[in-house]
Amino acid sequence: MLKLGFVKIIVFITILISVSSFLWWFTKDPVKELVASVPGMDNRPEKSAELEEIVNIGERFDEYGTQTSLLTGKWTRFRGADFDNIVKDNTPLIDNFGDAPKEIWRVELGEGHAAPVIYNGKVYILDYNEFKKRDALRCFSLETGEELWRRSYNINIKRNHGMSRTVPAITDKYLVTIGPRCHVMCTDPNNGDLLWGIDLVKEYMTEVPFWYTGQCPLIDGDLAIIAPGGSSLMIAVNLATGEIVWETPNPDNWKMSHSSIMPMTLNGKKMYVYAALGGICGVSAEGDDAGQILWKTIEFSPTVIAPSPLVLENGRIFMTAGYGAGAMLFQIKENAGKYSVEVLQKYKPKDGVASEQQTPIYYKGRMFSILPKDAAGMRNQFVCCDPNDCQTILWTSGKEDRYGLGPYIIADDKFFILNDDGTLNIAKASTTKFTLLDKAKIIDGVDAWGPLAIADGYLILRDSKTMVCLDIRKK
Amino acid sequence: MAKKEKKKDLNRRAFIDRGFRFSIGLGLTGLGVGLYKRSRAKEYVWQLDPAKCIQCGRCATSCIMTPSAVKCFHVYDMCGYCDLCGGYFRPEAKNLTTAAENQLCPTAAIERKFIEEPFFEYHIIEELCIGCAKCVKGCGAFGNGSLQLQVNHRLCVDCNECSIARDCPADAFERVSIDSPYIFAGFSKEENKS
Repeated sequence: MLKLGFVKIIVFITILISVSSFLWWFTKDPVKELVASVPGMDNRPEKSAELEEIVNIGERFDEYGTQTSLLTGKWTRFRGADFDNIVKDNTPLIDNFGDAPKEIWRVELGEGHAAPVIYNGKVYILDYNEFKKRDALRCFSLETGEELWRRSYNINIKRNHGMSRTVPAITDKYLVTIGPRCHVMCTDPNNGDLLWGIDLVKEYMTEVPFWYTGQCPLIDGDLAIIAPGGSSLMIAVNLATGEIVWETPNPDNWKMSHSSIMPMTLNGKKMYVYAALGGICGVSAEGDDAGQILWKTIEFSPTVIAPSPLVLENGRIFMTAGYGAGAMLFQIKENAGKYSVEVLQKYKPKDGVASEQQTPIYYKGRMFSILPKDAAGMRNQFVCCDPNDCQTILWTSGKEDRYGLGPYIIADDKFFILNDDGTLNIAKASTTKFTLLDKAKIIDGVDAWGPLAIADGYLILRDSKTMVCLDIRKK
Repeated sequence: MAKKEKKKDLNRRAFIDRGFRFSIGLGLTGLGVGLYKRSRAKEYVWQLDPAKCIQCGRCATSCIMTPSAVKCFHVYDMCGYCDLCGGYFRPEAKNLTTAAENQLCPTAAIERKFIEEPFFEYHIIEELCIGCAKCVKGCGAFGNGSLQLQVNHRLCVDCNECSIARDCPADAFERVSIDSPYIFAGFSKEENKS
């Protein structure tokens, strides 16, 4: 009897444990503690109060001095007059720094990466005055560094990897700038008189890019060409009046990038190439269809684009970007007025020539660039390739000569390469190998990313807070 | 006379006795130094030098701990507090929201909070971090490199036979003093100590 009772108890306990285990297993939710990652968990507000700030573009003018100069050299816009970043004024330049670089002057700037243009002995740069909270177009004497005048307007800009980061465009009569928060201003470069201004955010619902505007304005004849990337993808503005001449529709809602508009001519047809956030397009620059999109592609559309399209020969365009985007080489084809895009090469940064911030240079049939940080073993090296095959690197500067995000330019058949630590390098502009001629530390070099400008044998460079003018003329 | 007596005191027996004592003292000093050095050996720990790290991902899998004792540390002094954070968002993310499909971290170990326009703060949730270095790579490729891998010495068992150090292809692991057990890139050794 006892034995049977013991068995019953065992059976009962076994059934009880089994049922309890089943119920526990059945009712337990193993993912109960997991939290779904959904939009809005960062408490991002719906709308920024800054958008409602009233900005009177060009409201202030301060004059500090006058000057006359015999200099006639010009560096008129981002990448120079021909958009190739090659200086063509034939001034013989140094091969080395001798005992020390010949510094002419230096001035303090607001934190940023904006770079100047040079015109007949004057230097113009769109700076940001952190103390007074103003975008300030500043005019300096190229020979002395003395500030001559300043045209500015109040606007609140917070530090965000620098503030200013554009290069003006200049002619005899007009000087066009774009401020960090997309304010376009046109002035008379001779006396600083305000001509007109456009608030792209208010007028075109432009979304201010991350880390502020990087697009440099383009002057083409009597027009300023700007890419708002809001309600209009591109606009042409009459320089004399500020009136809008044409607008390009933006049906795909592409946004403003840090890239700048580059002109291109294919089979006699002039167009503007722009790499927006969303895709790359060619916009007719002339004729009855001026302002209309001739071709577009979404094959290369990274989240951030800083370099500008590099227009090569025969309708080829090289486009690159950082953050792992790599690069794309593509061909624009025209047939009876219809345009098409053919992708020739598309690859990640470790597989060919790419760039994170600076636009490569095309020179003597070769393309030159500094590879980005994510280019594996060749990261940050200065490299050369045949632009018909951007995935075959012909030579590099080597492991010992690596550069950061700094700018480079060609002048007098030499490369002037500014490492972002403030070291200026001079190298032969050779297509066969990298030959470093000399280098010297010029500035402290925190984020020395602003493009270089050269005219009349004067080189202007900057780091995040200081602009320096060097005399690089060969004696 | 006194000098003579002193010389007389230093006889042969006294000389041997003194020499014997000196030898014992010297031996004990040597023993002490040896023991001290041996004890100091335990005061060194393994650490990863972020400047040498190539973000290969082996820290996540080679550690004897599961999850790895190597974690991502956020050096706030170097952070740009960007909206578009290369360590938080996948490169192809189109919407900068906290939705899972936009995030780079496979375990959602990075928390993002709005500070003020246009700044966001990023915080590493240590319990979720597996030390895979995906965020470190993204931050370094695009930002200031403020996300850095480090051996977390609250979690490391200090077995003195670090299996990650053996596997590290970049030879980024080194022995550092327990007094300054962390190495952050972008800072000097003295700053790392403090």
